[in-house]
Amino acid sequence: MGRLFIQMTRGKKKLFAAMALMVMGGLLLLPIFLSVTAVASGGGAPAGGPPADVVAAQKEGAEGEEKKVEMGRDVYYKTEGPAIGMPAPITADNETFYPRYNFESRVLLWVANQQHLYYGSFVLAVPIFCMCIEFAGMVSKDKAMAKKYDQLAYDFIKISLTAYSLTAILGGILIFTFLTLYPAFFGYLSGIFRPVMHIYALMFVAESGTLYIYYYGWDKMREGVMKWVHLSMSVILNVIGTVLMFLANSWIGFMMSPAGVDEQGRYLGNIWHVLHTALWNPLNVHRILGNMAFGGGVVAAYAAYRFLSSKTDEERAHYDWMGYIAMSLGVAFLIPLPFAGYWLMREVYAYRQQMGITLMGGLLAWLFIIQATMIGILFLTTNYYLWQALGRMTGGERFQKYIKYLVFILVCGLLVFITPHTIVMTPAELKAMGGQQHPVLGNYGVMSAKNGGINAIIMTTILSFIWYQRGNRVPTVSWAKFGNIFMGCFFVIGQLNNIWLACYGYFIPANVRIGLSVPQVAGTLSCLLLMTPLNLAMLKGARPLGPIQWGKIAPRSQYALIMLATAFTWMMGLMGYIRSSVRLFWHVNEVMRDNSPWAYTHTIGFAANVISFNVLFFWISIMFVFWLGTLGAKKVPVPSTAGQPVPSPQPATGH
Amino acid sequence: MVELMGRAIGMGWPVLLMLVGLLLYFQASISDPVKKKRASFQTLIGILCAFLAFMAISNYAHNFHGESRLLPVSLVMITVMSFIMGLYFPNISALMKIGGFMFFVAAALSGYGNWLPQVEGGFPPPVVKLDFQSMSAQQLGDEGEKIIFGGIGQSKTQGAIGKGQCPLCHGFQQGFLSERAPNLYGIPDRSPERLKEPNYHMNDAAARPSEQKEAFAGSGTATNGQEYIAESHSCPSCYVVPGFGVKGSNDTVSPMPKIHKPPISLTLGELAAVDTWMYTREGKEAPTYDEIVASYEKFIPEADRPAEGGEEEKGGAGGNILADGSEPHDKLFMKAGCPACHTIPGIEGATGKVGPLLMEGSNAPERIKDPNYKGKAKSPKEYITESILNPSAYVVKDFPDNQMPKDFGVRLTGGALNKIVDYLAQLKEGQPLPPKE
Repeated sequence: MGRLFIQMTRGKKKLFAAMALMVMGGLLLLPIFLSVTAVASGGGAPAGGPPADVVAAQKEGAEGEEKKVEMGRDVYYKTEGPAIGMPAPITADNETFYPRYNFESRVLLWVANQQHLYYGSFVLAVPIFCMCIEFAGMVSKDKAMAKKYDQLAYDFIKISLTAYSLTAILGGILIFTFLTLYPAFFGYLSGIFRPVMHIYALMFVAESGTLYIYYYGWDKMREGVMKWVHLSMSVILNVIGTVLMFLANSWIGFMMSPAGVDEQGRYLGNIWHVLHTALWNPLNVHRILGNMAFGGGVVAAYAAYRFLSSKTDEERAHYDWMGYIAMSLGVAFLIPLPFAGYWLMREVYAYRQQMGITLMGGLLAWLFIIQATMIGILFLTTNYYLWQALGRMTGGERFQKYIKYLVFILVCGLLVFITPHTIVMTPAELKAMGGQQHPVLGNYGVMSAKNGGINAIIMTTILSFIWYQRGNRVPTVSWAKFGNIFMGCFFVIGQLNNIWLACYGYFIPANVRIGLSVPQVAGTLSCLLLMTPLNLAMLKGARPLGPIQWGKIAPRSQYALIMLATAFTWMMGLMGYIRSSVRLFWHVNEVMRDNSPWAYTHTIGFAANVISFNVLFFWISIMFVFWLGTLGAKKVPVPSTAGQPVPSPQPATGH
Repeated sequence: MVELMGRAIGMGWPVLLMLVGLLLYFQASISDPVKKKRASFQTLIGILCAFLAFMAISNYAHNFHGESRLLPVSLVMITVMSFIMGLYFPNISALMKIGGFMFFVAAALSGYGNWLPQVEGGFPPPVVKLDFQSMSAQQLGDEGEKIIFGGIGQSKTQGAIGKGQCPLCHGFQQGFLSERAPNLYGIPDRSPERLKEPNYHMNDAAARPSEQKEAFAGSGTATNGQEYIAESHSCPSCYVVPGFGVKGSNDTVSPMPKIHKPPISLTLGELAAVDTWMYTREGKEAPTYDEIVASYEKFIPEADRPAEGGEEEKGGAGGNILADGSEPHDKLFMKAGCPACHTIPGIEGATGKVGPLLMEGSNAPERIKDPNYKGKAKSPKEYITESILNPSAYVVKDFPDNQMPKDFGVRLTGGALNKIVDYLAQLKEGQPLPPKE
């Protein structure tokens, strides 16, 4: 009877928790429903267009009067719609359209935007990590491990909390910069996006509320059903965060590939067309993955900083582990990132071929060579970290002698990957070279060869991960020998297939050669998706050679994490610059022309310097955030349990 | 360097002064000699690092907009500063080492960006609305010269060529040898005379020996000099000047494309400008704009008239470039001017007969093996590239040398050339046409 009562009470609690969660979710998502209803009922007409016109247009339709509403044709969807917005302003180089300080306005906006973006990416990525790690902790059967995961998730969210307020501050600075330096442009955009802007603001409120409840309710909701409620809150938090990001992306999507307006830039009454532009979805996917990889890098750098400044072995062990988890999560999202980038580029080409060529084979092509170099650096660094990490495992030394071969493959892959093929050049350079091919490099560097290079690098990285997983374990399953041979053959065939296709590409026309990327990528993905689970299956019940000695890793490995984080931050700045620059002299591509004195594209060197400035500014400021985190931790009273010595201050343990 | 140090002191003197004051204060306030020595040493290191940091900032600020590529040097200076601080200030050692490492990474990447060839996108070309109708004859003539030769005053420049692409075949200067098409010097006087030629058959188009009798059904023939010019532009095969027809056609077919159709597509306003230049440059009085347009309207049906965009992009980067490779294949070949002289399978409007058929996937390997071939190409693609950049390297049998312009190397970008070569190399007899964009 008593047991039944307890079960009923538990059941009630579950029901209550679920209902509470639904109410909370409903309240948080209420702003979206309200705004969407408002848009659907006609309240979404942008400020640029007089609502009276809309009303008049509707009346005309209803009353059948002959008075005509001016219709416009959507520049992208080619549909007809009432031109209810104002045309895009035709600006001129003067103080009215482009008020300025005694400095290049574009660079000021660039810095403000980039800083906001860095922090925004970080605070959107970290809750996703928290969700994954908290979930891992909840389902873990090992109680000690579960606690460790829970602590880690808490550490992550704590770091992001200070960064969150900085994100909001930087968002404010960004809007002020827009209003002050580009009032006509911002006025036009905010006119088009008025309904979405309100949703954005409301979502931000919802995001803040959820985040604070999630963080401050950590201890209150740590047991039983409430823990699941807590985890569900992180899901809501991430849904809101993702919607926020999608809305922000719609602005840049509209600027690159406008839709929902006519040739004059007049809004045609369909806000979904304005949001759902040609590049919106690929940008969304690319940014989610990019944010995750970036967030992983930042947290790994934080862990590295704490590791290097640790005074005790316990601290070192904790931050070593934290760095490893963050790096693994970051790299897990880094691997699919090139494929998402490929999709984005394909959509860019499909939208405007000229835009694609400006990116990949024209004015901005050299920047892609830098990008290729950086991707190579990121993978090399990841491998280096994994090889160093083998050092903290008994048995890891078994693999050390093979590392030189991996280095050879990685370096060869990188050299092929960064070899330029057709690069924009001046007519004089073209003539001096006697054609478009370099006299030394000749035909090298075609796309299939480059794909071969990067796929060889990714496959090698997968192999490094597999070796790392086996570092201190020996498979004992009955089919271990067969598994090893199969795995070895799979990797060798994968690499041979990749190299063969890379070479074969030289003997077929360019348009056919492009298709080779499919079997090349398929080979790499097969290695990733088949060999990693196979390895895990082989390691079930494996014989351990010794424990992982967390904290017993060479300090230089932590510099690899910092390298990873810095290089990723730099690459993010670079790619953002490329994406924005491809509009050339358009504020909104082919709709609103940039007539400011800064409508030209800077040199690569100048761009590289500003990107470096942005990267360092971000890291100096985030170091400040990290430092704030340590201050808070020192003030938290350490829970003292009877019979246990009070531990030395461990900044990331109290909550 | 001295200047840079001066600027650094000018910028950071309050901080440096404060550190010097601190150094003096330590001398007076610390009695323990070991501690005093340590504090003094650390302060000196601090002064050195602060000085280095101000040098770096000053260098960065001074060169921000300059051509100097030494900005990454600033980052290296801060890297050095950070590592020095990391060595001598143990409390912040980890932070400074990490910071220094980050500055080092940024310096390396920034340096890489500055090391690569620097390409800067020029300002956008200003959009100019051209209203041909309200132009004076002189202004109209100037626009005409730009359409034919690419710029005002360019008519005397060898190889100058504009949107109209006329100089590819026509000579324009008195006495200039013009083998592919008639020299157009003296056309205002000569055109009324052409109407009296026996094969012209004024007012009796049906009697013409040419394959095409009139521009379109019912258009009739020209009745005055200006109409003759208009008819020649819009229906080149209606009357072919003796000796300038397609080989073997007995002058019944002209190799010239219709100027109002792709690949050239001049509008009536542009055609009026071209014609006006041909009158005014010889000091003749040109017909009015409306008269010229009316003469074209007689031979070009309304549906065939290119839309009067009236916009021209002037100046800007790469103004001398014919094509940059971003164009779809048809447009690329059209902009490069190839269809005016060559037949290119698969390319719209490319039925030119002046140059050889460009079935290069089949032709090029044969030509490389030809004992008369003296070029350097070893593959079809190299042969095609060579033929474009240096047409005289090998001249196809039965076609005269020095007919093809030799400046494509400076008129096409690498991307455009690559795209043309790729397409032509795929054209093989008996095989399907390669895909186009």
